[in-house]
Amino acid sequence: MQEAIKVTDDLKFLDADTISIQRNAFGELVIQLPDGNTHSKVEPIRSFPVSETTRYIVLIDSEGVEIGIIEDMRNLTVKSREILAEELQKRYFMPKITKINSIEGQYGVTHWNVETSQGDVEFGMRTRYDIVTLENGRVLIKDADGNRFEIENYEKLDPKSYALLQTQI
Amino acid sequence: MHDPMSGRGRSSRMRMGSYGGKPRFKKNGNDPLNTKEEVPELLQKQADELLDSGEEIKVAVSTDLRFDSTYGKDWILITEKRIIVFNQNTVIGHNLKEVSLDSIEDIEILEMYGNNILKIITSDNAIEVARYSKKYTQKFNLAVSELDKLSQNGSGPDGNKKNGGRRRPGARPGADKTRCDKCGQPIPSWSGICVNCVQNRKLIFRLLKYSFPYLHVIIPALLLMLVIRFVTLYTPILSQQLIDHIITPVANAISISKEQSLPKETWVLPETTWGPLQGAVDMLGNWFGPMPAGGSFGHLIGIIILMGSIHVFSLVTSSVRGYMMAWVGQNVTRRLQNEAYEHLNALSIDFYQERDTGNLMSRITSDVSRLRDFISNGLQDIIGDSLTLIYMCIIMFSYNWRLAFWTLIPIPCLIFFTIFFGKKMSKVYSVLWKRYANISTILSSTIPGVRVVKAFARERYEISRFSDMTHQVFHGEMNAAKLGTLYRPIMEFITYSGSIIIWLVGGWQIFQGDITLGVLFMFQSYMMRFFGPVRTLCQMNERFIRAGTSAERVFDILDTPPSVADKQDAVALPNIKGDIEFRDVHFSYDNEKDALNGISFEVDAGEMIGLVGHSGAGKSTLINLITRFYDPNQGSIIIDGHDSQDIRIKALRQQVGVVLQDPFLFEGTIAENIGYSKPGASRFEIIAAAKAANAHDFIVKLPDGYDTMVGERGARVSGGERQRISIARAILKNPRILILDEATSSVDTETESKIQEALERLVQGRTVFAIAHRLSTLKYADRLVVLKEGEVDEIGTHEELITQGGTYAGLCEKQTELSKIRAW
Repeated sequence: MQEAIKVTDDLKFLDADTISIQRNAFGELVIQLPDGNTHSKVEPIRSFPVSETTRYIVLIDSEGVEIGIIEDMRNLTVKSREILAEELQKRYFMPKITKINSIEGQYGVTHWNVETSQGDVEFGMRTRYDIVTLENGRVLIKDADGNRFEIENYEKLDPKSYALLQTQI
Repeated sequence: MHDPMSGRGRSSRMRMGSYGGKPRFKKNGNDPLNTKEEVPELLQKQADELLDSGEEIKVAVSTDLRFDSTYGKDWILITEKRIIVFNQNTVIGHNLKEVSLDSIEDIEILEMYGNNILKIITSDNAIEVARYSKKYTQKFNLAVSELDKLSQNGSGPDGNKKNGGRRRPGARPGADKTRCDKCGQPIPSWSGICVNCVQNRKLIFRLLKYSFPYLHVIIPALLLMLVIRFVTLYTPILSQQLIDHIITPVANAISISKEQSLPKETWVLPETTWGPLQGAVDMLGNWFGPMPAGGSFGHLIGIIILMGSIHVFSLVTSSVRGYMMAWVGQNVTRRLQNEAYEHLNALSIDFYQERDTGNLMSRITSDVSRLRDFISNGLQDIIGDSLTLIYMCIIMFSYNWRLAFWTLIPIPCLIFFTIFFGKKMSKVYSVLWKRYANISTILSSTIPGVRVVKAFARERYEISRFSDMTHQVFHGEMNAAKLGTLYRPIMEFITYSGSIIIWLVGGWQIFQGDITLGVLFMFQSYMMRFFGPVRTLCQMNERFIRAGTSAERVFDILDTPPSVADKQDAVALPNIKGDIEFRDVHFSYDNEKDALNGISFEVDAGEMIGLVGHSGAGKSTLINLITRFYDPNQGSIIIDGHDSQDIRIKALRQQVGVVLQDPFLFEGTIAENIGYSKPGASRFEIIAAAKAANAHDFIVKLPDGYDTMVGERGARVSGGERQRISIARAILKNPRILILDEATSSVDTETESKIQEALERLVQGRTVFAIAHRLSTLKYADRLVVLKEGEVDEIGTHEELITQGGTYAGLCEKQTELSKIRAW
């Protein structure tokens, strides 16, 4: 009997504690692999931008070719982790909505005035289909311009915010 | 990278926030496309210190995000010499960076998830100068192109170079607009037009113009309606007459006679007079046999007959009127739909790329029918109801102004609650509607996908998802029920309180001898008639806005001029030979990113050209220009010595045949689909074309042969079969220029060889452009043109390019490896 192919064989996991991530003068990420190869202008991509923000980070080089996957950022050296985290923090901007002050609008357009983890903001929505409710009360919102917001658990919002949100989902 | 001073940041954020004041429906002040914003005084001062004399700030843009990921404003000022960047978060006061324009090597906009970063690259380092949310994407794209101009002016002859190397991600072609150009408000997805900027009055007037040809029906219908309203309002007056002139006097006389215990035969009842109708009234009374005051009884019968006939008259005339207005409405619908559809067909491809199909469809169907309702009912209802209210007020005030005044007291309440409940209801129902939509989403995804659900044994999961939704609907419905159960009693109470007021005030006035019982009853019945018209008028605004929006959606189609149109002196060119020359052709879908960047090459008549290149290299764009789906922005395409833009579109397209990757078959028979390219083609020609396309054999094996229905609701034909039908369609047309756009990429190898065979026949003696990913399909091509980022990379025969060892050779090598695997 032939043994079944292991699906994990094709994955290029990087040995997180042996690689180093730095920044060059142009602010680009430079990664040094244990085999001595270095790549510059590396782009980190979250495989699960919504559900898993610190794990399965894919690194691609300037040609768009995958260098490898970091299974868990925690295994990186402190320095590398900080640089990667900083870069990801820039690349993925999705404030958490903590309070909804008002949702107003008509004819399908709604104007939201909210408080978020990054400060107060107002935004406009073109359609309610840009609001997605996930399991456990998590809500993802994409506004008219393509900005992203999330609500960690809408059931935990204050009653007024909850009532306002209820009219939209 | 957390901001230690976020507490301080918060207060300044409130002040500096880009949305000061109340933003809702604000028309300006927050202009997302202004690249010369007003700079705060403090910044201006700091900037002035840096500037040389005579140096001027050309561009001033603010961000809405800071580098520490909090919301707030940073500034970028650009002069003809330098960029000045103010970042506020790291140091108290303004942290200031300065870059001279001469040192800039490149400018990059990094489009990321939820925010963008503007990066300036110099020879030895790079500076991130601005971070902003997607809201300002366009503003910064604009600012960067201005920066481009400024830095090019400074750098002398070098500056004339096209900004080819710089990455400038912008609006992608086909993406629809998200914000209104005029007011900056988001455009609702469903409508595709900005509802805020709809100019209702103009639109409604324009809409009314469509009904002008039917004025000879509309005006009589309007008059009929006014007559109906007037006449029906007369019935309360009739009942007042009945009570005051007949029933009350007669009842009084009878009660007096009864008190005196007079025998019935000796009762003396008052006789009423009814002017010239007296004779008829007497006759009516006598018809019922001899009785005291027969004339009065006749009068009573007369009034009742009048009441009955008014009712019947109004029913009959409203039906007639309804029919007339339906005729008008349907005529307007037909005209609007035909005009819109005709114009849709005249419009160029780019119009369709910017708009969603479902959206366009609903404009022609549901928006037009909403406009019909507005013309045939809405408008006349509004006129009729306002006049009814005025009539009633005139009648009531002329009878007794005091009582009339008291009767009108509950009306403001009625208006208030109608509007109040209207708003609440629409909110509750829109939520409810969303919930129901969620249920249908689940159903429409799981019922067609039932095999997957069952195969992976996920029934439980789907059931629980569904029951969550029904639970939400339950809550929504209960909310609606709550409102509904409140609405009715409140409305009833208001009308009832009106009638109580009338009893009270009217009763008092009867005691004073000011009014009669009949007048009291008349007021009661007018009171009841207030309800309907008031409700209609409360909804008037809503109705106007809806009609305006629908009108805008329809007129948006009619008002868009086709971007590719015939010139006045365009030539017909009935017999194209097929010599084609591209002369420095530039084209961009969005005026930001060049899809074609100076293409030049010549093609002889009868030559077959293979177009090769990665996706996005410009192959399809080139073909779109040959067929004139678009016209070049710069340069020209010369066909037989004529600029393609001087040739009549119809003449050109009649001689260009296209076979697409995923051919489209219309609803109809196979014969009709093949014959679509040549109206009036004979059966013989159709069979010959099918034969040449290698389609004949499979067609005759179908039970219905050439009469087999295909298309959405027709028989299922495979991809390869569809392809061959479309080749037959192209063969029948006998085009001079033939375009094969990935004609064989979506079929299996065996079918491919059949199609290939058919294509070989088709390409004989024509100028052919073929796009293919599988390079083997291009083996018959006379020459190959390799495109790369909108430019011609290589050009030559297969052998030439292989020996050259460039891009094409590389591609070939890769594919040979692949084909080995396939062969194996």
